[in-house]
Amino acid sequence: MADLSRTEALGAERARKRRVRGSLWVTAREAFWLALEALRAHKLRSFLTLLGVVIATTTLISVMSVVNGMNLYIADKIANLGANVFIVHQWQWAQGYENWLKARRRNKPIRIEEYELLKTSLVNYKNIGAQAGLWGDNDARYKGKVLYEVDVAGVTPSMIDIGQQKVGLGRYFTESDNDHRADVCFIGTDLVDEFFPNLDPIGKEITVKGVNFRVIGVATKIGTTFGQSQDKFIQIPLNTYQKSFAARPGLAVSVQAWNAQQMMVLEDETRAVLRARRHIPYAEDDTFGINASETLMSAWDRLTGAVFAVTIGIVAVFMVVGGIVIMNIMLASVTERTHEIGIRKSLGARRRDVLWQFIIESSVMAGTGGAVGVLLSLIISRLVNIVFTSSVPLNAVVIGLVLSTAVGLFFGIYPAGKAARLDPIEALRTEN
Amino acid sequence: MGWLAERKQEPMATQVAISTPEAQTMPADGIIIQTEDLWKTYDMGEAIAVHALSGVSFSIDKGEYVAIMGPSGSGKSTLMNLIGCLDTPTQGKYWLNQNLVSELSDDELAYIRNKEIGFVFQTFNLLPRASALHNVELPLIYSGMPAEERLQRAEEALRKVELGDRMHHRPNELSGGQRQRVAIARALVNNPSIMLADEPTGNLDTTTGEEIMRVLDRLHEGGNTIVLVTHEHDIAAHAHRILHIRDGRIDRDERVT
Repeated sequence: MADLSRTEALGAERARKRRVRGSLWVTAREAFWLALEALRAHKLRSFLTLLGVVIATTTLISVMSVVNGMNLYIADKIANLGANVFIVHQWQWAQGYENWLKARRRNKPIRIEEYELLKTSLVNYKNIGAQAGLWGDNDARYKGKVLYEVDVAGVTPSMIDIGQQKVGLGRYFTESDNDHRADVCFIGTDLVDEFFPNLDPIGKEITVKGVNFRVIGVATKIGTTFGQSQDKFIQIPLNTYQKSFAARPGLAVSVQAWNAQQMMVLEDETRAVLRARRHIPYAEDDTFGINASETLMSAWDRLTGAVFAVTIGIVAVFMVVGGIVIMNIMLASVTERTHEIGIRKSLGARRRDVLWQFIIESSVMAGTGGAVGVLLSLIISRLVNIVFTSSVPLNAVVIGLVLSTAVGLFFGIYPAGKAARLDPIEALRTEN
Repeated sequence: MGWLAERKQEPMATQVAISTPEAQTMPADGIIIQTEDLWKTYDMGEAIAVHALSGVSFSIDKGEYVAIMGPSGSGKSTLMNLIGCLDTPTQGKYWLNQNLVSELSDDELAYIRNKEIGFVFQTFNLLPRASALHNVELPLIYSGMPAEERLQRAEEALRKVELGDRMHHRPNELSGGQRQRVAIARALVNNPSIMLADEPTGNLDTTTGEEIMRVLDRLHEGGNTIVLVTHEHDIAAHAHRILHIRDGRIDRDERVT
């Protein structure tokens, strides 16, 4: 008998819990619509209240978008050495000015012999190539026309399979061109536009530093990076470069692996070969640099890390200010609506119903601010993209919405608690 | 009684309670309200205590139509707040529909107000920005009723007070009498044990007041238990029984025939 009534009571208990949950869900939904209604009813007040949260969300998402855009850009345009390619050079890139000065003093350039050694010593690579460059300040001439600041590089024929350039017209160098130190060149589209706007460039002769080179091929257009044209170059065979410009040039050796895992193995092998050849003692650092995309990206990430730290600080301040404004307006709202709370309580609203109503209201308010922030930052991202680069990552949108809603929830707790604790008789007596 | 035991989450308490002296005094079926020596004392500091109610005992049967009358300051409002479960007595016992409500927590009182009591106030106390329909829906929202059923019940209640064509009007678009009828519909909608009307005609002119009283009379005829708080004899005359309150005590319990 006792057992029976006990089971009955437990069943009733479960039913009651279901009922209470149901009630909370219903009140939560009611509170949600109420909050939107309140926002619509007081447009100006809502706008002023939410300004802090809107600015915080906009700042957060905009900065994340620009950094994300830059990341994509850097990964694509700057750190893109080619698929599974690393470059052996005199020093490690992007390590800061101090380190660069030190490396410049201490390290020795990579020489042709070392390139040849790597070519024969490395066990299994997809491609290996080398280039030597006269960066920047070179004039190229053709029949009285001059093009300034042209990059001139001596390259091995294998570089066409490793580097960014593709053959658009004519052909690239052959081993024969290199072996015979032929005075031929492969040019970027900027030179074609300048010298041969309506002519067939193949077979024409371009003069660099008093030496004539016959054009055998033209690269496809690459485009610009940070406004700098990437198509203003002349390539000549490496041996020709040695003959004409520098007997013992410092090289950048590009090694291409078959896949990402093998790249690590090849880097280690390269390091071993070069250290052995240069007789570097066990405890000493390399006197050369091995550069991969990751090296460049990690340097970039260090920079953006600092940007993020500052952004997080600013956003935190805005969010706290925004949250306090919301708390203030919610406290005012509780006072203003004391009578309403009294009515609701007299009709059976429990403390948690009232608590929920106000917490949801402030969360919805702040969340709306967050949504406005998202929209604003989408517009800003569009605008920034015109002059610079910006790409809104999905996680920034999610973080923005969740964070702003959480701020509203947190700063709504105190006012909501105040509303929930109101005495129904006192509240009903309050007239407004 | 059933749900009370569940609320305290002690299923066995139901059985234990039956043998205690308290439970033995539990009112019989058919008695909606029973109070036993109700005291309400306000502590004004400096050891001065004001007794708003000093030992009030009475009972009201199911289906009765009772008016509580008394001059202002008689303890009438305090008694109404206790009956309406808006407040708890300092001392004494109060059973509402066989629930001992004098010892409940705030949230339990809210639950009782929602299930057992329908309020009609002098100042209507409607939510100004909500439609008549939504105002009537409120008690159902707090009892967790799903939307379709809620809407149906609220519409039904509004039709009962002849406001079927004013459902989507806001209170400020309605006349005083119509507002009070919305309040009555709201009080009815959850099928409470009692309807508690506090000066329901106080803010209305005589004609409209009479009209509201006719609505209450009709509800009483339909089987509702109605408790009316008023200081007007004309209004109290609608009831079948008048409790006269003076200085926090029941002065006279008058049956009107």
